Amino acid sequence: MSELKCPVSVLIRDIRTTIESGELNVPRSRRIAEEIQELLGDIAWGRASEAHVDAIQDLAEELGGTTDDRSPEVADLVRSAFADHREIFHSHISSRNCATGDCARLAPAPCQMTCPAGIDIPTYLSLIGEGRDAEAIAVIRRDCPFPWVCGLVCTRPCEFMCVRGRIDKPVSIKPLKGFAAERAMSHGEYRNPAPKPPIGKKVAVIGAGPAGLSCAYYLALEGYAVTVFESRSSAGGMLLLGIPRYRLPREVIDRETAMLKTLGVAFEFNTRFGVDATFQTLKEDDFQAFFIAIGAHLPFKLGIPGETTSPHVIEAVDFLRDVALGWRESPGNKVLVIGGGNVAIDAARTALRLGSREVVIVYRRTRSEMPADPEEVEQAEEEGIGFEFLTIPVGVHDGDKALEGLECLKAELIAADDKGRMRPRPIAGSEFMMEADVVISAIGQQVESDCLASLTTLEWSRRQTISVNTITMETSMEGVFAAGDAVTGPATVIEAIGGGKRAARAIHRCLNQLPQPQFPPVPVRRGRIACAEVPANIKMTIDRPEMPLLNLDRRRTTFQQVELGYAESTVRDEAKRCLRCDICLRCGKCVEICRDKMGVNALSMGYFDFDHPVRTDFRSTAELCILCGACAANCPTGAMDVRDVGTERILSLCGTILNRERLVVCEDCGKVIGTDKYMRFIQKRTGAMPKLVSTERFCDACARQKTAAFSGDKAPV
Amino acid sequence: MVFRQGQKVEIYQKSTDESWEPYMDTYVGLHGVITDPDHTINDPEALVEVSLVDHGTHRFPQDCLRLLDS
Repeated sequence: MSELKCPVSVLIRDIRTTIESGELNVPRSRRIAEEIQELLGDIAWGRASEAHVDAIQDLAEELGGTTDDRSPEVADLVRSAFADHREIFHSHISSRNCATGDCARLAPAPCQMTCPAGIDIPTYLSLIGEGRDAEAIAVIRRDCPFPWVCGLVCTRPCEFMCVRGRIDKPVSIKPLKGFAAERAMSHGEYRNPAPKPPIGKKVAVIGAGPAGLSCAYYLALEGYAVTVFESRSSAGGMLLLGIPRYRLPREVIDRETAMLKTLGVAFEFNTRFGVDATFQTLKEDDFQAFFIAIGAHLPFKLGIPGETTSPHVIEAVDFLRDVALGWRESPGNKVLVIGGGNVAIDAARTALRLGSREVVIVYRRTRSEMPADPEEVEQAEEEGIGFEFLTIPVGVHDGDKALEGLECLKAELIAADDKGRMRPRPIAGSEFMMEADVVISAIGQQVESDCLASLTTLEWSRRQTISVNTITMETSMEGVFAAGDAVTGPATVIEAIGGGKRAARAIHRCLNQLPQPQFPPVPVRRGRIACAEVPANIKMTIDRPEMPLLNLDRRRTTFQQVELGYAESTVRDEAKRCLRCDICLRCGKCVEICRDKMGVNALSMGYFDFDHPVRTDFRSTAELCILCGACAANCPTGAMDVRDVGTERILSLCGTILNRERLVVCEDCGKVIGTDKYMRFIQKRTGAMPKLVSTERFCDACARQKTAAFSGDKAPV
Repeated sequence: MVFRQGQKVEIYQKSTDESWEPYMDTYVGLHGVITDPDHTINDPEALVEVSLVDHGTHRFPQDCLRLLDS
């Protein structure tokens, strides 16, 4: 790596080095230095406001006044950087650009950038590849406190952006995380980082779902006294009450939430906000900030006759919650589930496991419009769940004691607007009755806002979710923050975790009068792990593994976990498929140099372009590459590397060995002069020049000595 | 529902929806992938989750998105 030129990057590096060296012994000075580093990070990433400059300088003065021996020196570093390069700091803020490119050099990999929680995926995959599972979990928990949960149920946006997917298939990021978490927990190596000393400030978190727990975790690490108020008797929120146990065992939730208790987070269970604990009473109890993460638990109604009067129509969220809390009775022999999302699939598969003989999902559109995760749909079909597409329920018919059935209409899809959106249109006269013992409605949920009625100045969106600034998760009420499904509507676990983490940072800044960022956070690189050496043929031929599943009979009858996880050897191999995009930025300079300057064109890397990926084959490099090293010399990040090892010259890209050739040495002095291919390339380029020396191989110096014998002075007359 | 998980999209215009925030103006023209479509009621008003190339994952109103390929 070349030297940093940008004063912002230099200052960040110097402060980080000082913090990491442990030379700041006084906790207060270390905290101030970390705050300066974080605000500088905002500037480096173009997410700062002008207020950041003043705030950093104020913090530097505060740091200079602490009793730490090293503090004045660090404060001087900041002062002199701002005195000498003030306009560059302002330029970063106004242009959100770094002229030297140094700040961009820290660019996170696409997978990390995509993760709503900003987890440093390449770093933890590399650690898992080396068998360092506990270290991988520590890296993940810097950004997400629930690696095990996410390793089982994350919707894995990272895999959709995985660059490896442009070559063949994305890396199996989610299951690798799950494996490492399970292994670390099993070996007793899943530990909390040390929290900062208590700072005497109290924060109330309303709701113990993934957003609330994440916010609580990161605030507790900062030294805040956090209390989580939860209306249920245990922590987990939708993780516990909405996701069936065959996808996410309760033990996983309990073990990971228990980590918060050991960190000092207090829980008040069976406590309803607005009833048992109100905003006013909590303020009187010295809570200085509030984080609302109450989720979206109120089901939408179908709006059809008989729905609210029949005891045989139940809501999917209520059904799943009851089963999660221990109810184990079959809802009926024949069950109809209305909806096409993941909740409908979960309800149907749960009913099957409780003993229902026939479970059918009724959906108004076709299979291709189903919004549920395709893997979940496929697993449901394997288990015997039926589907009735293009079917619109129009009424529930109740008999004396049992349900007579669900009256439905067949539908056809028509274009409903100029953008091609297809809408189901009922077909007149197509009424028919579907027999059922019970109907489960799974058409979505909304936020249950009653508990927040006393927060009269809290603004709501037209979607009936809490309005927030999505950068800081601040609501319209000062000191009140919100995230999770209460803000987004029913969304993903990892979004809730990311929102909780963002809110924790914003609450910290709010309570310390620090300026808030103006742009969304850029994820933080947590390390630069050395690349594992993998031959190109191995890199290209390892296939993404299939997930082993529980046998079908058990899937249909028990709540045992369906996905069994990979074997250890599979995990270690799969990690090798990672392209290490945290190091290779895919700038294309290596390809350009090789093709345009050298005229060799040995690099077949078609994965650089998101929109139009073309063929990639790392193996083909060896056919043409002359090992000149021009690609490595021009690589801005050190991803492309050429080095002499023993008697060979090896070219590698992030550890993938693209080419290796035996070295040619000077026949006179023994100095390395390149490879055969390189020598032939040079000879071809200089082919017109007279060959003064025969086919013998000499280095430049020895060649000059040899040719001197034929110089004009000594040539015979 | 127009958008499906895994589809490539472009933020081709600003949205007039209340959920559109000022910082999103800088995203117009960027490409990305639908990572979490409207998972429940196929509501054209629902926000969908999009991962933008080099610019993170956000929820956008659907009127600012268009498919890049089918």
